[in-house]
Amino acid sequence: MLSTFHHIGKYFLLLGKTFKKPDNFKITRKHIIYEMENLGIGSMGLIAIISVFMGAVVTLQTAANMNNPLLPGYLIGYATRESFILEMAPTVMSLILAGKIGSNIASEIGAMRVTEQIDALEIMGVNSASYLIFPKIVAALLFIPIIVIYSMFLGSLGGFLVAMFNEGMTIEDYVTGLRYDFKIFSIIYAMIKTLFFAFVITTIPSYHGYYTSGGALEIGKSSTKSVVYTSIVILIINYLLTQLLLL
Amino acid sequence: MIEVKNINKSFADKQILHDVSINFKQGEINLLIGASGSGKSVLTKCIIGLHELDSGTVEYDGRDFTNMNFKGRKKIRKEIGMLFQGSALFDSLTVEENVKFPLEMYSNQSEEEILERVNFCLKRVNLENVNHLYPAELSGGMQKRVGIARAIALNPKYLFCDEPNSGLDPQTGIVIDNLIKEITKEYNMTTIVVTHDMNSVMETGDNISFIYKGRKWWEGNKYEILKTDNKELCEFVYASKIMQKFRSL
Repeated sequence: MLSTFHHIGKYFLLLGKTFKKPDNFKITRKHIIYEMENLGIGSMGLIAIISVFMGAVVTLQTAANMNNPLLPGYLIGYATRESFILEMAPTVMSLILAGKIGSNIASEIGAMRVTEQIDALEIMGVNSASYLIFPKIVAALLFIPIIVIYSMFLGSLGGFLVAMFNEGMTIEDYVTGLRYDFKIFSIIYAMIKTLFFAFVITTIPSYHGYYTSGGALEIGKSSTKSVVYTSIVILIINYLLTQLLLL
Repeated sequence: MIEVKNINKSFADKQILHDVSINFKQGEINLLIGASGSGKSVLTKCIIGLHELDSGTVEYDGRDFTNMNFKGRKKIRKEIGMLFQGSALFDSLTVEENVKFPLEMYSNQSEEEILERVNFCLKRVNLENVNHLYPAELSGGMQKRVGIARAIALNPKYLFCDEPNSGLDPQTGIVIDNLIKEITKEYNMTTIVVTHDMNSVMETGDNISFIYKGRKWWEGNKYEILKTDNKELCEFVYASKIMQKFRSL
């Protein structure tokens, strides 16, 4: 328990160091663009595949459970849209990104720590936390919401493809369902959650990477720990924000 | 000149450095020698400020580094160049970008001036036409030379080298030692070299401090080290049977 508080304290101290004024804005801007490409665009392919297939499966499962003739056909599209906007795109995609981006960040920073690259930065007088972590946070805060909207679109497209090729459903019903009772607040809610998740996805792995000590084995351990803790924190934040924003 | 006064450092309940005081002279190569685990690297990290001291002070040309605030330390750190044991080059950057890094970070020079300085530093360490290679594409000796080029990019007053020729063959090691020697004289820097390589000691040892179990055990130069009667130092210098035979001649 004491160790948990120790880590939480150390995490916030690292954040304090991270949010100090960058040593050189030009380099930081260059870094942010690099990280957006590295962390964001590099994840688009994976997110596309997962979103289309998950959208298709959600649509199929909803259809399979709605064989009552009294239920209108458009409910399938409606359920797909709601589940994707409210949970699948922001939460599930963030969990996937926690695995992909999180392990990448922890191992990258961890390797820099054990090969003394972080010490080299410190000796040059560079605030290593700000130099390494700040651009990743900004890139994630700017790009992960785009990925989540992209996932919402592709999830709906997956459902659309199912509606197109399945006899029990019609495209008209599916599209009506997608448009039925649409509330813009659902998107705002998803974006609020996504911003919190994006912050967690970059800072927790950065923390684990930054304080790695030892060698290759420890880098692997840091990477695993970062994914586990990030996922747990995402689930806790998801519950708290849902309670706060929806009820 | 760097003055280290009565440094003590411990980790948890284990004391690593005991009341170490050394004067590192300007324009000379100051060697810190000792067996593995003797505390040389911890001492270096304490001098640079990567480890906080339990007690004692470190002064850079009379400026009290230990009790300085973050801003003051940052100013001094810009005057420090360091060559790491594993070179510590940034993997994701090319050779040119590595040497350019401190210049882009701190100098107000134009892109052309920075590039000119990068090429000058690389030429100074006898490296040409490697600008666009990544560290992983270089040999160990070349990586060390890029490390030296990066360390001197900002014209430092102080140069720290942590085991500069570890992992190198003796010939390349001597090349690196000579390069450090030349650069130290050329820029009149205060250079501190941590090593346990006797070739290095004989090549560059102007001012040698022997660290034993976290204490400064002996001080002298490369000629004095051969004649010393200090038991622990003799065990370190004449560790091999051939060296013992050589001594008895």
